[in-house]
Amino acid sequence: MSEAPHTVKSYEEELKNLNSNIVKMGGFCEEALVKATQAIISRNSDNAETVIKDDEKIDKYETLVEQQVVNLIALRQPMAIDLRETVTALKISSDLERIGDLAKNISKRTLLLNENLPKNLTEALIRVSSNVQKQLKSILDAYLDRSSAMAVNVWEGDEHIDDLTNLCMQEVIKYLKEDEKNLDDGTHLLFVTKNIERIGDHTTNVAEQVYYLVTGEYLEGDRPKGTEPIVTGEK
Amino acid sequence: MIKISAKNVDVFYGKKQALFNINLDIEENQVTALIGPSGCGKSTFLRCLNRMNDVIDICKVQGEIVINDFNINDKGCDVVRLREKIGMVFQKPNPFPKTLYENISYGPSIHGMAQSKQEMDEIVEISLKKAALWEEVKDRLHEPGTGLSGGQQQRLCIARAISVQPEVILMDEPCSALDPIATAQIEELIDELKKEHTIIIVTHSMAQAARVSQRTGFFHLGELIEHGLTDKIFKNPDNTKTQDYITGRFG
Repeated sequence: MSEAPHTVKSYEEELKNLNSNIVKMGGFCEEALVKATQAIISRNSDNAETVIKDDEKIDKYETLVEQQVVNLIALRQPMAIDLRETVTALKISSDLERIGDLAKNISKRTLLLNENLPKNLTEALIRVSSNVQKQLKSILDAYLDRSSAMAVNVWEGDEHIDDLTNLCMQEVIKYLKEDEKNLDDGTHLLFVTKNIERIGDHTTNVAEQVYYLVTGEYLEGDRPKGTEPIVTGEK
Repeated sequence: MIKISAKNVDVFYGKKQALFNINLDIEENQVTALIGPSGCGKSTFLRCLNRMNDVIDICKVQGEIVINDFNINDKGCDVVRLREKIGMVFQKPNPFPKTLYENISYGPSIHGMAQSKQEMDEIVEISLKKAALWEEVKDRLHEPGTGLSGGQQQRLCIARAISVQPEVILMDEPCSALDPIATAQIEELIDELKKEHTIIIVTHSMAQAARVSQRTGFFHLGELIEHGLTDKIFKNPDNTKTQDYITGRFG
């Protein structure tokens, strides 16, 4: 809405800096999800270990954003769009931090998985993950472009993720039933699937924040939901 | 309920137009804050509401200002009565160079509001209590008002304004000369006073406007750019100019 820069340049800088930290943090989250997924498919332990190690970076950004937000509120008393920038940065950073944690958890489980998983399972997982990756990328672009329309698209897209998650869950359950020996891998895969779906949920949270940031209004109505999940989890 | 309704108000200082077609409704028993950069016309507008602009020879006010169904710009308006109903508090505390008691009793006595010394004593006490000053000054009512601290002087001026039971109180940057503690006392007072009075406050402090008012109007270059609920104005204003001003983006 406002193109004009702040009269006080240091304030302008602080807000820009906050913005760019969210973008960087989002970039790390995207990378974590991509690598965590690749690690499952290609059985690349290095990738998994990188995701586990790099989660620390994401956590540090969350702390940094929180400090910046507290400083802005205490020292600048932001109003209107600046207030929304500040408050949404805090909320988005906590969703991104959770995304980092979930990617880390996926990678920890990946290290314990059998090297020869059935192809149908990995394919089902990739379908969910690549859709979530798209959503995450879109919402970070929407944040950068201040696009409420893109935010709504992402918000609506969560339904499809839920459906793909359920399909994937069904595959994993079938696999579990096939053989007792599949119990360990199958259980891990259930959690992996659920974690990817949760990343999608956090992405949807971010979409709500971006919408509020841009419009000053809350996205109304119930969240889009896919078919009833087989495994209930927090939503 | 609407207490004051300004309709198509234009103000000129000589040939220069200071306000352009202002239309603004002021809600009863609420605090309305008027904000905007220096020279935007907010104080000029405030001064229209009790015809204070009359004292400036070159100033001409057009349009209607309706208070209690009566257009105060009509020729038949009794300006002394009007200013009894619409009190004013200024930026710099301006107590009369008289005792505290006389500062308060002056207005009620010229309006013939007290029949006896006892009644006047009551008016003085009630006014000072309402202005949250009584406890601090009750033992020195016959000392000069100018001997008080700045914050106390301002509360004395508020007590003086409310002593004649005005329906509306106009405040023109009442805290700009005060420290944060005295400011907080005035703000608390404003909150109390709105139960019985309608308050319109001009302030340069965005934070103060946000803290004390229920409605806010933003003036720029003599125009009323936007007005509405204070929380809307400060969280999500409709107009880009409003947003640029309150976020400190004015070029």
